[in-house]
Amino acid sequence: MFGKGLVKGLKITWKRMLGKKQTVKYPFTKIEMFPRFHGRFVIDPDKCISCGLCVNACPNKVIQLEKQKVGTKQYLTKYTMKIEYCLFCGLCVEVCPKDAINFSEIIDMNQYRREWVTLKMVDRDAPVETIDDNALIDSSSSHKEG
Amino acid sequence: MKTQTQTYSLNLGPQHPSTHGVFRIILELDGEFVVKATPVPGYLHRGIEKLAEARTYTQVIPYTDRMDYLAGMLMNWGYVMSVEKLMSLEIPERAEYIRVIVGELSRIASHMMSVGALGADLGALTAFTYTFRDREYVMDLLEMTSGSRMTFNYMRVGGVVKDFPPEFYPALKHFLSELPGMCDEYDGLLTGNEIFIARTKNIGIITPEMGINYSLSGPTIRGSGVNLDLRKTRPYSIYDRFDFQVPLGENGDCYDRFRLRIEEMRQSGKIIQQALEQIEEGPIMAKVPKIIKPPVGDVYTEIESSKGIYGSYLVSDGSTKPYRIHFRRPSFINLGYLGDLCKGWKLADVIAILGSIDIVLGEVDC
Repeated sequence: MFGKGLVKGLKITWKRMLGKKQTVKYPFTKIEMFPRFHGRFVIDPDKCISCGLCVNACPNKVIQLEKQKVGTKQYLTKYTMKIEYCLFCGLCVEVCPKDAINFSEIIDMNQYRREWVTLKMVDRDAPVETIDDNALIDSSSSHKEG
Repeated sequence: MKTQTQTYSLNLGPQHPSTHGVFRIILELDGEFVVKATPVPGYLHRGIEKLAEARTYTQVIPYTDRMDYLAGMLMNWGYVMSVEKLMSLEIPERAEYIRVIVGELSRIASHMMSVGALGADLGALTAFTYTFRDREYVMDLLEMTSGSRMTFNYMRVGGVVKDFPPEFYPALKHFLSELPGMCDEYDGLLTGNEIFIARTKNIGIITPEMGINYSLSGPTIRGSGVNLDLRKTRPYSIYDRFDFQVPLGENGDCYDRFRLRIEEMRQSGKIIQQALEQIEEGPIMAKVPKIIKPPVGDVYTEIESSKGIYGSYLVSDGSTKPYRIHFRRPSFINLGYLGDLCKGWKLADVIAILGSIDIVLGEVDC
């Protein structure tokens, strides 16, 4: 009583004022993220076997995947993530059998326009030599829709 | 002729810093005294229970994070426990210990927020910055474990996703050694502060009878001296292996509810310390089929969340998706008493009362 508590509080704040600084000047100094940090997604298209497990694992239907058959294998032609609906829960990363999709340390996903937010991670044509004409027409029409 | 002042209504919220989110109270005031208080929740309703019906059992887990986002681990835990009970799963020892450690860390983080926010509501913004600084340590610990800072999605039906990384142990030990000092700082800044005491002591008294009648739980009812902590009274998981005390209040006022949260942080630190000593190597995931299909039936489980008793009622029709889930969110139940509790107190006390109940709107509106 009689202001003792106030003095005690002031002592703590004074001690802290002389102590080590806790913050960094953000855009100039960046803290290092932990290895497991859930940042922006990265996909390795060469590892991906287009199995679609990530599409099914996603609780919010964020992932859109398009594939084409090349020989006996499925070839990933398009991989889009509607990141504005993403919960960053990591179920897609967890379920991937080939470790193709992963989190990165990138935190900067801000965009000026809403349509730019969508992550277009893979957008490529299947190897030409093994595709007949009909498949080429199909793939070009789906590109326009996307 | 009896003269009487006219009452007037005052709208508090839905966007007001002291309502801790989007929560609205319509106050009927006679001068400075509250005649009637009508809480209006629902601004943050996302229909999580309904969304869960269209998702598989695993896909529901990230949604539970979004309820009490200050203690996401505990929300995960309550839900997966109900699925595990329905499937009669045995959880590996190590997974149980990991759950206790991350759960108690979440509780500490939640209480830090609560303690700091009550201080900030009552004008002590300095204390708020202190608790936020320390909460950052907890969030770092949980981030290196799960990858996220608040919405972890760390627990799975049958265990947890990943084991602790090697850098976790020294960081946790450092935090545990600092924790008592942190709590002393909060005590020095708030608990002993005369202005804070004047604003909270003998304000918003909840009697044990009324607390029980309104089905309050957590620190809100323990502040009234009712010894209701599921970790002690009905131990779930492995809580019967730890030696800890349940701090209790005496008067049931805002001050008691606030004070015992700091005590609980200290006790949680003790639990984590014991869990760290007892934890052994082993699997972190039970043998669970890839596609989770619990048998037909219903189940109700409860855990002690940071706000009170968090229950999860699950009905299964034998398919891969839950037929119905209901979550008993402690904040929502505790808030039920707010209308009657505020009656007769001054307008400024309403802020203290609301802060001391410690609601999280994500959980209230679900």
